[in-house]
Amino acid sequence: MSIQVENIRKSFGAFTALHDISLDVPTNQLVGLLGPSGSGKTTLLRIIAGLERADGGRVLFNNEDVTHLDARRRRVGFVFQQYALFRHLTVADNIAFGLRLLPRAERPSRGDIRDRVRDLLGLVQLDNLAGRYPAQLSGGQKQRVALARALALKPEVLLLDEPFGALDAKVRKDLRRWLRRLHEQISVTSIFVTHDQEEAMEVSDKVVVMSQGRVEQMGSPLQVYEQPASRFVFDFLGHINSLEGLYDGHNWRSGDAFLRLDTQGACPDGALTLYLRPHEADLAAAPTEAAHLPVRVAGRSVFGGTVTVELEPQGWGGEVLEVELDRVRWDALQPDRQPALYLLPRRLQTVTCDGDLGPQVAPA
Amino acid sequence: MPRYWHQWALIAAAFAAVILMLVLPLALILHQAFAQGVAPVLEALSSSDMGHAIRLTLVVAAITVPVNLLFGILLAWCVTHYEFRGRKLLTTLIDIPFAMSPVVAGLCYLVVYGSQSLLGQWLSDWNVQLMFALPGMVMVTIFVSCPYVARVLIPLMQSQGQDEEEAAVLMGASGWQVFWYVTLPKIRWALLYGVVLTNARAVGEFGAVSVVSGLIRGETLTLPLLIQMLHEDYNTVGAFTAAGLLAAMALITLLLKTVLEWRQRV
Repeated sequence: MSIQVENIRKSFGAFTALHDISLDVPTNQLVGLLGPSGSGKTTLLRIIAGLERADGGRVLFNNEDVTHLDARRRRVGFVFQQYALFRHLTVADNIAFGLRLLPRAERPSRGDIRDRVRDLLGLVQLDNLAGRYPAQLSGGQKQRVALARALALKPEVLLLDEPFGALDAKVRKDLRRWLRRLHEQISVTSIFVTHDQEEAMEVSDKVVVMSQGRVEQMGSPLQVYEQPASRFVFDFLGHINSLEGLYDGHNWRSGDAFLRLDTQGACPDGALTLYLRPHEADLAAAPTEAAHLPVRVAGRSVFGGTVTVELEPQGWGGEVLEVELDRVRWDALQPDRQPALYLLPRRLQTVTCDGDLGPQVAPA
Repeated sequence: MPRYWHQWALIAAAFAAVILMLVLPLALILHQAFAQGVAPVLEALSSSDMGHAIRLTLVVAAITVPVNLLFGILLAWCVTHYEFRGRKLLTTLIDIPFAMSPVVAGLCYLVVYGSQSLLGQWLSDWNVQLMFALPGMVMVTIFVSCPYVARVLIPLMQSQGQDEEEAAVLMGASGWQVFWYVTLPKIRWALLYGVVLTNARAVGEFGAVSVVSGLIRGETLTLPLLIQMLHEDYNTVGAFTAAGLLAAMALITLLLKTVLEWRQRV
């Protein structure tokens, strides 16, 4: 089932939670709504579910207007951040809850309900916990029960509100991979809300980046990362280093440092900020003709095959920079023996003085 | 554990106060009742006035508790589930019975529904007598004990949030099904606790009931009123027997309350 959101608006008193949001989710896609807290993503999800009423705009399922359809008739599966399991019911009764409420004509027989619950428990890999109560489960188990319960009525739309938000890092990682696989097994159109960039990137077919009640960008994970539509998107997706200086049409300068940049006239003379992602730079013992950025190593941390290095600019700039190098490359550099080190950016994102994103450039 | 002598002294003082002010009087009630043996107590218990007072007390409580149970649930539901103008005002208003002396409440009812008032006159023309009869006594008892259920439920419902109710709605539950299958199980122990408190108040109420009952012997005397009456008649054994009975009801209530508090925590 496809989901369309058309010009949805919502305010809470004087606070505008959503400004004119439009969104298109094709059938069987898994879409991540990504944004910081307060960006309106949960409100949007609740409007799609029917738990919240929009001030204006429409919600359509398969091109059918459901804007005024009651939440109980929309037949969406919903997973809450805090699980919202019925604490007085066992795992099996939680999952069977919706099935037992069906009108007599649609309700499966007792035996069929039991079989369906067993299948769902198998799907979420909790076969032997049917008789437990929610208080006796771990966070990850509760979330899987919540998911099984949401799938019990075979919804064609599945909505997940920060589904892994309350879990620890290791469990999160396992669960999101599992969700991705699960989504490939069953045919359902899913929207999930998250503030975790990595989660959105790893799980989603498409990412919708939101900020202050607006959609900043919608695209595949690769697209939003490689071609961010706005400064916010660039900023929000992963760590960035911000280099501030002046541009004269050929060279960017800050104190003793300079970069030779050809922006083909896209950037006006004057103040020019450059964004640098940690993995898009190298270190060397000598500067090049195009890049002269002296730095000193202020700290390092090794994790797996990557070394994260903190660099203090020498004679320019201000804040400490963060760069990620391949461990083999780092060891070959023998940084402790070098009298000076120079940062060599491979790719930079220009940000003009009015805050817009300019072209992406490389020193040459 | 306390580590210094003055901490122990404070605890001892607290115990002494409780024994002196609460336990001792309670023990004395029973002692006084049985001062002349068991026979006079049994005789007092079998008197028709006593039997009538016990029945009347139970009837008043039996009407008051369900009414206030429904009222309390309704109020707590509205206050915690809907955002509306005057919500704060409503939660303040339900505390009026706590803040006001029961005697004042009784007088207010007398002024509004008594035969001197327009409303009372009109009701009297239709042969309906509220004051100095059972209906009036029930009305004031409902008044003085109405905040308990709501007061117990509101903070609980607020802390539990609405996620479970929303989950049920999304699974197709109607408003009634949500209440019956989700909300009620969530609040059941607190609800029983509220009922126990309401019942204790309803059984023990003296001031307000005293004003509207008219103190008609054998007709409008509840146990607390009967105690006062017997005491004034110098019927010590009768007064203390009734008092002992009331105290026993209170202790049972207290026991129930403790059990329910414990259940609620689990």
